[in-house]
Amino acid sequence: MKPAPFAWERPASLPALLDRLAEAGGSVKLIAGGQSLGPMLNLRLVEPGLVLDITGVPELREARVEDGTLVLGACVTHADIEDGRVPDTTGGALQRVASAIAYRPVRNRGTVGGSLAHADPAADWVSALTALDAEVEIAGRGRRRRMAVAAFVTGALETALRPGEMLVALRIPPMPTGAAWGYVKHCAKIGEFAHAIAAVRLEPEAGRGRVVIGAVEGPPVLVADARPLFGGRIGPDCAGRFLLSVAHTILREAGLTDPVVRHVHVTVLARAIAQAVPLPAPRVVPEAA
Amino acid sequence: MSAGLAQTPTGRMALPLTVNGRAVHVEAEPRQHLGDVLRDTLTLTGTHLGCEHGVCGACTILLDSEPARACLTFAGACAGASVTTIEGLDSDAITGELRAAFNREHALQCGYCTPGMLVAARDLVLRIPEADERRVRIGLSGNLCRCTGYAGIVRAVLSVIAERRARGLGPELQTDRPLGPVGARCGQGSAVALHPQVAVAAVAAPTGTPDLAGPFEPANRFEQVVALSFPPQAVFGLLADIEAIAACLPGAVLTARPADDTVEGGLQVRIGPIAATFRGRAIIARDEAAMSGHVRGVGRDAGGRSSTEGEIRYRVVPGGTPDTARLILDVGYTLTGPLAQFGRPGLVRDLAGRIAGQFGENLDARLAGRSAPAPAPLNPLRLLLGLVRARVAAWLGRS
Repeated sequence: MKPAPFAWERPASLPALLDRLAEAGGSVKLIAGGQSLGPMLNLRLVEPGLVLDITGVPELREARVEDGTLVLGACVTHADIEDGRVPDTTGGALQRVASAIAYRPVRNRGTVGGSLAHADPAADWVSALTALDAEVEIAGRGRRRRMAVAAFVTGALETALRPGEMLVALRIPPMPTGAAWGYVKHCAKIGEFAHAIAAVRLEPEAGRGRVVIGAVEGPPVLVADARPLFGGRIGPDCAGRFLLSVAHTILREAGLTDPVVRHVHVTVLARAIAQAVPLPAPRVVPEAA
Repeated sequence: MSAGLAQTPTGRMALPLTVNGRAVHVEAEPRQHLGDVLRDTLTLTGTHLGCEHGVCGACTILLDSEPARACLTFAGACAGASVTTIEGLDSDAITGELRAAFNREHALQCGYCTPGMLVAARDLVLRIPEADERRVRIGLSGNLCRCTGYAGIVRAVLSVIAERRARGLGPELQTDRPLGPVGARCGQGSAVALHPQVAVAAVAAPTGTPDLAGPFEPANRFEQVVALSFPPQAVFGLLADIEAIAACLPGAVLTARPADDTVEGGLQVRIGPIAATFRGRAIIARDEAAMSGHVRGVGRDAGGRSSTEGEIRYRVVPGGTPDTARLILDVGYTLTGPLAQFGRPGLVRDLAGRIAGQFGENLDARLAGRSAPAPAPLNPLRLLLGLVRARVAAWLGRS
């Protein structure tokens, strides 16, 4: 339960960090809060020759709003979002996701960039940021690029990062006016990796909706146009028109063959939809009249 | 780089910390976690180590006044940090109230979880003064207790919260906390080189040959379908050629064939940053009439710590269009060791999907008379092959 020996470097600036990342031979792992990599190092599932600590870089520990887009440095922690130390442009959606990640001591060190770059399908940000249509900002030596989170996560623990590149920031667009947010995850024990995640961003007035089914085996299943899930139309009453069969079909096509697993995902999705656009309170009918 | 973190010749680093209000300078390897530094170097054994991968919460300490897992905070990551252990909370007023409440409510039995539990409880009391039972239970969910069933602990924490509420005390939050992981100082660089490795001891060979004939009930099972653009007969014919299968299966090497139905070799798999190399043997059976087959194997990873046993039942059926085939694989496996502790069936499933996709492409290429795509320039398999050869030689030498 002790890591194999590794060298440790903690560059104090982004150019120095990217230089080391490009030049260092052998196996290199980046570490931020270490809440995902730490267990793997301790279990000796990963034995890098060099660990590059990215938390010394000031640029990665900043948050700002640019033309309405929230830009979070990769080293912003879940607790920073939970406690409101970063601006909120999502109507509390980010805060709600952050406050239910693992446990408080983990949230105090675990980072949003680290979680996304680790790309565990059961991690909250992988699904939530896909539903929020967020982008990642990637840097390599002398180059920068952006891509949608939906394209960034390519598989279980696999991302589109190329050698010498790292995730430096997240760009989260503001919650559209009139949008309703629902986020539900299913864990057998609080704080453990989720067995099913559903994140929905529905715009009943605009008739649009974006649905993500996460904690599946690979990258989350994104339904960028969610209208088919509601019989072709999204409105204030859409929770009552949610079509379980369409959700099952989408998941089956995504490779989820086990009907029990699909049932759990579809149930969690139905709850997230009901959370976003609550059904009118049901009429109470006495059990025995 | 930074003056505070001069590199020492032994691969250790000078680690300045403030521990329980006292400035200390210790030497540590960057890989040592804070729990070991506190316990072994500073003899502050009140910090308990349980799981050492962030699940049990026994090692929870205060890092720059906020709770953090000592076992997931490496020495290299926290130079200059202020650390408060359970010993440092002796004279803390809230911890005093919690201690009295824990005594009163029988909130501990063996006491192993208690230091971490008190640190987590103190954070809850300060941060969420309006917490009800549900929120207290959620707040303590990251600290495992196997004695009390939590009832006494929850009562103790709730009673302290109620007393403080009665005294009109509100939440106490750090207002000047910078963004980023607690304990990690911004703008400070450092570098610690790897200590030249002492010779790595040879990995012990697996003891005994596992029984491949006995019954096997896999813990996980899934089906994988590979679509191929050749007729079933051609596909099934190729599957009789063990060398061809090994050449088409990404990460696989064949090292020996001690009997007609037995092969030995290895399979290198990668899941994100995890790279495991399983070596072992497999028994193969074919049913020509049904165009189906069966492979049963056991393997152990290079460190000998994780092991797997598995079986693949396959059958070749006609594809959706003429002269195409589908290879249906029914995979069952059991994984034990650290890899199983970390891995979840879903991750293995995703990996299997990717391997199967490449396997299908390679089979198609081979059937079309093209050679399978060249492996990556730096071929880890060559290295693996050497290792496996050595292992096989060791087995043969022993028998």
